[in-house]
Amino acid sequence: MKAILRTVLLVITVLFLFSTVQAETFGVKKRRPKPHEFGNVLINNFSEQEKIAPVVFKHWLHRAKYTCRLCHVDIGFAMQANLTQITEEDNRNGLYCGSCHNGKEAFGPEDKKIIGENTSNCDRCHSHGKEVTFRNNFYTYRKGLPKERFGNGINWLALEEKGLVTLIDYLEGVSMPRKKIKEPEEFSLKAKQPNMPDIIFSHKKHAVWSGCELCHPEIFPVKKDTKPYSMEEIFDGKYCGVCHGKVAFPNFDCQRCHTEPVQ
Amino acid sequence: MVLLKLKSILFVALFLSLLPCSVSANRKYFDNLADPCPYDYGDILMDRKSSSANVKPVFFSHWRHRIKYSCRVCHFELDFAFKKGQTEISEEDNKNGLYCGACHDGTVAFGHTKENCKKCHTAKIISHEKEYNDFLKTVKQAPFGNELDWVEAVESGKINPVYSIYNKDDKPLEFDKKLELAADWGFIPPAYFDHKTHTRWLDCGNCHPDIFNVKKKGTKHFSMKYILDDKFCGVCHISIAFPIDDCKRCHPDWK
Repeated sequence: MKAILRTVLLVITVLFLFSTVQAETFGVKKRRPKPHEFGNVLINNFSEQEKIAPVVFKHWLHRAKYTCRLCHVDIGFAMQANLTQITEEDNRNGLYCGSCHNGKEAFGPEDKKIIGENTSNCDRCHSHGKEVTFRNNFYTYRKGLPKERFGNGINWLALEEKGLVTLIDYLEGVSMPRKKIKEPEEFSLKAKQPNMPDIIFSHKKHAVWSGCELCHPEIFPVKKDTKPYSMEEIFDGKYCGVCHGKVAFPNFDCQRCHTEPVQ
Repeated sequence: MVLLKLKSILFVALFLSLLPCSVSANRKYFDNLADPCPYDYGDILMDRKSSSANVKPVFFSHWRHRIKYSCRVCHFELDFAFKKGQTEISEEDNKNGLYCGACHDGTVAFGHTKENCKKCHTAKIISHEKEYNDFLKTVKQAPFGNELDWVEAVESGKINPVYSIYNKDDKPLEFDKKLELAADWGFIPPAYFDHKTHTRWLDCGNCHPDIFNVKKKGTKHFSMKYILDDKFCGVCHISIAFPIDDCKRCHPDWK
């Protein structure tokens, strides 16, 4: 009996080992999304099971008008795709997408017409796998805007600084009026590797878009003895990697953060 | 009897589970293909859409570009993938100044015009033997691949490939960490990796984090088995950079 057990155990271990080896896809380069695809999120909590096309959410289109904070703090969207579990009922109750997409701030589920039938707007969001002609073309929008090398190829910071966009940060009935606080100074973070330039972090540049609440206290605790975080964790989607890589400029743009000369 | 039967079933199951793995791993080891001539090494023919659009496939010579441009310009700044057929290059893109069109615009290099079509759309590898031989006379030779030492050529200043086409002030990080990579097999001396010889050509983001993650204990996977399968070092060091036939170049203590 013992012999059988041992054999079974051995086989299970070997099978497990080989199944992991076969599943590995490391050591190759991933495909980089095209500028218009960068930051797009596929939302499919319930769509497919309800036989509806999943939602393609375009970050670029929304960040051209609103701050990140408005959706991710005030409206309460998670920072990870499909974690929020949005339902149609939620939207119709004025939560999540429905906070704006209600026919007032932005288009609602239907365009109500005085004469004739209402037109459905389903396809404008539930567009995955469909041929939809959108009203806003990314490359037309991008023309003439400050350039950036990676991501959307748009320098979003410069866009805001130059006043080319006026970001909406307050939504009546959702946001609470708060006095703006003064941001802390820029500071540098020491890189772990010798000869790796230190990082300069600017609160100011981030706060325009994210406020304080987007990062603190969950992503970055504010304890003084905060454990230093590593690139490994960032590449893994933690800390700076919550935004940088998926939506904000990607983290292979090393010298954009590692800018301080090594002393 | 029952025990024996069970055992045999288990072994058959084990054998079957190993089968696809060993087949895929062995695929390359028996493809004893002839090495390309040094003046054709790294040359590729791109045919993602050409043939189906009745256009001749595109010939691209790595070594002829490498004399003038670092790998980084095309594979980092211009977003060319590291695998043939993965970059969705179109004629429109080129005319819009993307991909090949970033340089092949009629100013930096010959443009994407009708009379120039046949310069790239050749449908076959074009050997530039004479040009290669003339170039070879000016640099140090090496045993494999293009049979010349690219690292020496750049370090000695014999060639000065452009580091960035966007920003003249861009320069490599002074990151010179050397890694000693212990070999799996006891009698194989370790491989040494020098960041500095790579950063002159490549950007950090070319290799990290996709090809090589930055985990401290992640080195155990860089086995020759994967490298032969075009992974890790094999992304470049199979068909473009000096090939892995040159054992001693990474395992210098090899006797």
